[in-house]
Amino acid sequence: MAAVNTVLASVGRVQTPLWGLLLLSIVTLLFALTQGSVSLSPYQVWQAFTGESATLANTLVLELRLPRILAAFATGGLLAVAGALMQVLLRNPLAEPYVLGISGGASVAALLAILIGVSGVFLSGAAFVGAIVSTVLVFGLTQLKTAASSLRLLLTGVVIAAGWGALITLILALAPPQKLPGMLYWLMGDLAYAGSPWPAWVVLVAVCLILFPLGRSLNVLGRGALQAASLGINVKRLERGVFVLASVLTAVAVTTAGSVGFVGLVVPHLLRMVLGNDQRIILPASALAGGCLLTLADTLARTVIAPEQLPVGVITALLGVPTFLLLLHRGRL
Amino acid sequence: MKTQSKLFAFTLVLGGCLWSSFAFSVDGELCVVDDKQRQVCLSSPAQRIAALSPGATELAYAAGAGDQVVAVVSYSDYPPEAKQVTSVGSHTRLDMERLVSLQPDLVLAWGTGNPSEQVATLEQMGMTIYFVEPHDFEGIASSVERIGELAASRDVADRVAAEFRQGISELRERYQGAEPIRTFYQVWDSPLMSMNGTHYISKVVELCGGVNVFADAPRLIPRLSQEAVLLENPEAIVAGGMGEENAHWLEAWKAFPELQATKQNNLFFVPPSLIQRPTPRVLDGARILCDKLDLARGRR
Repeated sequence: MAAVNTVLASVGRVQTPLWGLLLLSIVTLLFALTQGSVSLSPYQVWQAFTGESATLANTLVLELRLPRILAAFATGGLLAVAGALMQVLLRNPLAEPYVLGISGGASVAALLAILIGVSGVFLSGAAFVGAIVSTVLVFGLTQLKTAASSLRLLLTGVVIAAGWGALITLILALAPPQKLPGMLYWLMGDLAYAGSPWPAWVVLVAVCLILFPLGRSLNVLGRGALQAASLGINVKRLERGVFVLASVLTAVAVTTAGSVGFVGLVVPHLLRMVLGNDQRIILPASALAGGCLLTLADTLARTVIAPEQLPVGVITALLGVPTFLLLLHRGRL
Repeated sequence: MKTQSKLFAFTLVLGGCLWSSFAFSVDGELCVVDDKQRQVCLSSPAQRIAALSPGATELAYAAGAGDQVVAVVSYSDYPPEAKQVTSVGSHTRLDMERLVSLQPDLVLAWGTGNPSEQVATLEQMGMTIYFVEPHDFEGIASSVERIGELAASRDVADRVAAEFRQGISELRERYQGAEPIRTFYQVWDSPLMSMNGTHYISKVVELCGGVNVFADAPRLIPRLSQEAVLLENPEAIVAGGMGEENAHWLEAWKAFPELQATKQNNLFFVPPSLIQRPTPRVLDGARILCDKLDLARGRR
């Protein structure tokens, strides 16, 4: 109960931008529901939720569009929050789950799973285990030295990511040609293969609830470990906890949609420019804005050259790269 | 009692299998066994067929069910009528909305080509899935018959299948005693790829009295170096390719005048769509390949 009160108290102070983003999220979800390669009127979409009869429109909306849109939103939210956490943890604007090798580990495990011919739950399970193994590897190797610095963590992550990259290339070179398309699409990130969206939602909501009360501590941590320690924060425990949370977020995101790049890097930076660097706002805002971005990107992926379908990772990168460069050029990063 | 009736049903099914190797009926339904050994049943003949690979489209048309095909995927270019059918994306990534909105009552899926997640979703939505994946000549013939059974076009399908079997066995008879020709079939040029002896293309080569030089390769589709091909020193090189032209693939081998195939000018092109899609058109491809290898025998 105390935790809920703290959550409400911290949310209370920063309401306005979050309410705006929440509204934007709802509009985005509704817009995505009306878009598809089969054109349905808003009224038909509305009827799918209210009408009793099982029409074709109902099937399209409830069994194809809705699960995919929900998966896209949750995945985007997971990735953006994971990126925001990593950037605070490492006090480095470059940090994001993909740079740190977490998604690399997930990808290697998933490709091996595709190679031996499993799919569905087992493929997702393999990706999840791969992400966790990579996390343990990065964190374990960094902790070997007592004076673990954030730079050391970043370097270890980058090197391990390079190692995963080599393994991915090796698997692609040795894989039978008929398995290559599936593997490539998986590496690019694709919501066409997404299963049930609920695990991603449960994790996203749970992690956000855990994080809200930690906002103030994270703000201090962002200014430096020494400063945080002098203010009485158990830095080691907080850092470890944040890293584990970020890894779980990434693992679930990768498990849902494969390797979707750029959301974790671009969304937190964009939000910081507009909303300032208060983690109590940035973290929930990242969840909402990341969700909106990936939902819109996936809507484009489904419709822009229909019936041909694009992997959503291509769209996020194509949108993300010029946006990021423009911001860099204008000197706002 | 229940076990007994099951046993009885089993005997019936077994009897049915002996009578006709694939088609049987359970409770008045049309049933066949697909290439994943699953039992596929329809309560009435298929009226709306979705073919999720170019090969499946060809098989459906060959089986006399062309008029019932309502959905195809990219590169479904044969027969020409298939190009007019609504496309539902590429075989590796289906436009699920468009596919579902066409309301197919039979989906011809490609087990190793279509994403298993998307096919599983279609199955969950209650669609009837038939996996098409013929591995040899008999598989091609019986695929035509089985699709014909589901689409109630057995008269056409049986004729096409019989002609195919007849054509293949004629070729087999003619080239049974022919002198063997060591042959390299080039599936792709960069990376250089062939296929091992278990692949049906290798069986086409053997049918014509050829010997696949990479028959013993451990992988179904081995990736090779030029050195490996030079070492095998094949007497004939046959290339497939993308589209119906690939002159430069064969040009590359002219750089090696010591290679037996180059020396005897046995560099042959066979249109890949006639060989690389497991459909009745393989017979046309096999006839061309057999002629080419016979030409090579004459050049000894």
